[in-house]
Amino acid sequence: MAAEWIEKVTGSLEQKKQYRQHRARVQGFPAGYRTAVEAIERYLTYFGGISKGDTLVRMLDDLADLFEQGAADGTPVRAIVGDDPVEFIETFLQNYSEGQWINKERQRLIKAIDRVAGDRA
Amino acid sequence: MGKQMTEMLKGTLEGIVLAILSGRPAYGYEITARLREMGLSDIAEGTVYALLIRIEQRGFVDVEKIPSEKGPPRKVYSLNTQGQEYLEEFWRTWSFLTGRLEELREGGRYHGSRVD
Repeated sequence: MAAEWIEKVTGSLEQKKQYRQHRARVQGFPAGYRTAVEAIERYLTYFGGISKGDTLVRMLDDLADLFEQGAADGTPVRAIVGDDPVEFIETFLQNYSEGQWINKERQRLIKAIDRVAGDRA
Repeated sequence: MGKQMTEMLKGTLEGIVLAILSGRPAYGYEITARLREMGLSDIAEGTVYALLIRIEQRGFVDVEKIPSEKGPPRKVYSLNTQGQEYLEEFWRTWSFLTGRLEELREGGRYHGSRVD
């Protein structure tokens, strides 16, 4: 019971635990890969606008999977992110758009236009 | 690879990856390697991976985690029935589009030759 109201105030403790595990995982990557992941995460913090905790955790996990595999295969960081890292990360981010705060506004816009256009149920 | 090539590939890469998977199941790195063999050398592994996440979310592929000798387990992607159907639709769309573009090119040439 106590845990329940604490989570209401602080957010999900389970997700916090997952996030700490994620941080520890990234710390274990070879230096170059770790720096690349941290730079990408920084960009995602500014640009991503992910407000749903579960989506954020899933996204960070997927990102770590990619770099962990790349490090194991010896794939150079450049070959992972490509010539245009921004292009790569924005393609990647599209997979998690349901967790972006702007998504609420997108749905509101779609509904508003549907209502005035009156062509959809 | 030029900017125009990158832009055009963006819209077709999903179909290309599904077509590669229709041959046999593969993991991310194999797909990138296949694209490089085809001469699409500048496609980043991360871009392919982001796309694989998307087609997984849309239910076009089944995913199996296969343990590997060294390193973490690999995700192997195989095309399922829904993916197969989507791929067929992709090829139909592709034929339609290239047909129209060819017509446009022929038309352009025809008008061009009438000038002199």
